[in-house]
Amino acid sequence: MLIKKFDYARWLFVMPAIIVVGLLFVYPFLSSIYFSFTTKNLLSPNYQFVGLDNYRKVLADPDFWNSFFNSLKWTFFSLAGQVLVGFILALAIHRIKRFKWLYRTLLIIPWAFPTIVIAFSWQWILNGVYGYLPNLIVKLGLMNNPPAFFTDSTWAFVCLVGINIWFGAPLIMVNVLSALQTVPQEQFEAARIDGASSWQVFRFITLPHIRVVIGLLVVLRTIWIFNNFDIVYLLTGGGPSNATTTLPIFAYNLGWGTQLLGRSSAVTVLLFLFLLTICLLYFYIIRKWEKESK
Amino acid sequence: MVKNKKTIVSSFLSHALLIIATILAVFPLVWIFLSSVKGKGELTQFPTRFFPKDFTLEYFIHVIRDLHFIDNIKNSVLISLSTTVIAIIISSTAAYGIVRFFPKLGSIMSKLLITTYIFPPILLAIPYSLVMATIGLSNSLIGLIIVYLSFSVPYAVWLLVGFFQTVPIGIEESAQMDGANKFTIFFRVVLPIVAPGIVATAIYTFINAWNEFLYALILINDTSKMTVAVALRSLNGSEILDWGDMMAASVIVVLPSIIFFIFIQNKIASGLSEGAVK
Repeated sequence: MLIKKFDYARWLFVMPAIIVVGLLFVYPFLSSIYFSFTTKNLLSPNYQFVGLDNYRKVLADPDFWNSFFNSLKWTFFSLAGQVLVGFILALAIHRIKRFKWLYRTLLIIPWAFPTIVIAFSWQWILNGVYGYLPNLIVKLGLMNNPPAFFTDSTWAFVCLVGINIWFGAPLIMVNVLSALQTVPQEQFEAARIDGASSWQVFRFITLPHIRVVIGLLVVLRTIWIFNNFDIVYLLTGGGPSNATTTLPIFAYNLGWGTQLLGRSSAVTVLLFLFLLTICLLYFYIIRKWEKESK
Repeated sequence: MVKNKKTIVSSFLSHALLIIATILAVFPLVWIFLSSVKGKGELTQFPTRFFPKDFTLEYFIHVIRDLHFIDNIKNSVLISLSTTVIAIIISSTAAYGIVRFFPKLGSIMSKLLITTYIFPPILLAIPYSLVMATIGLSNSLIGLIIVYLSFSVPYAVWLLVGFFQTVPIGIEESAQMDGANKFTIFFRVVLPIVAPGIVATAIYTFINAWNEFLYALILINDTSKMTVAVALRSLNGSEILDWGDMMAASVIVVLPSIIFFIFIQNKIASGLSEGAVK
């Protein structure tokens, strides 16, 4: 019998990454869970263990529930818009023959915007006094007084979601487009010879081929949008009067505004648990799809 | 004949849709650029002119020279570059190790990536800031670089696994027969083949670090050490920074991002869809 020598080389390749991920995820995660059971704050070094007290207070706080529902709305509408717009644009580019590259290149520009520039540019475009869009609306006679885009609660939310769609749709578009290219061309032709309508082609050939990729994209985007802090923080800061406060903003205000790190940790742990549940659900669906396509 | 007509109509509609979408997509970029070079007073003029009447670079000069914005740009470049170099070294070895020695792990890469995604940055930010304070790295660029590895390494490993999977094993086997060890094979044989993928991943890592905001906001308080985004945020709303300055600063921050992005968009997207089906 040959005793296999312990192969240290292969571990050398993966060790640095394992250490980095371990230190940057496992330790902070455990420490957040720990702090969520304490009165840890930013001001004093002393804190006590208080059991589930933070969770009880958070779950009884109407502001928490307000942020939670804002997060749900923010995620749902942004995601639906990004997927819809991204998909339609990808199908349009896939269909045409000329200028493909040009459209594609120009359409991904929003994706490259740093959040601070997203905030500055849109605050300037929608500015109540000097903004290009409000002035255009008045000039074209669409409204006498343009809406107060960032000071009215409803409009602020609509603007946030709209800007997030503007920012995120290109990512969906580019990925759907490259997934579309993996669909075997013969199947299209065969379907066309059989006289299938474009809707049937889309429904029975295109969609089954790309849905696993789309599913994965949707999972990644859901998490990303739900966890997003900077777009909301820089555009509205959660205002006016908490109308756009999402959970990450709420947790940030608790931790760095009122210095209650323990309670803030409890919020972030709840946020994590919620996302975990959503992801397990998605994985279940995607696994079913993968089995079907095999 | 009927079919032909239908194709023409649908292609016309596609073009119309794409033109409208393109205008919406590029308008903010065009607008910040035009606003950044308009003469003093033109920004607050009625009716709003689309093109500038007087061309000026005054805002750019003010932002870079008087507001010491150049220091913040240097910080951002330094942080993004260091993050990229460290992340790529760690990730390319890891990705190769996964593909060649732990193939089972390679098949669940997407799930592993998503697992790291579920951790809300705001959850990680609290322990990060406490730990950095304890080890004396709060308010330091090194601390920020370490924290940036948390989002750049998992994503880079995931992208790179996709690229390494395209390397045919036959090439490596023949090198092995010539007596090369694992490390020689990795550096001399495999790396040159995946170099384009590594470049694309590096640029993507750089852009993400360049655009990051939350950790930079929480970990850095000293104006001279702030990244561009946080420095701009801290000046926003104050008297020293008016709309013209903000537009000029925006142009400076957004241009490198966009230029790099256009180069790599193809590779990043195909990496994603290939990674997803594996």
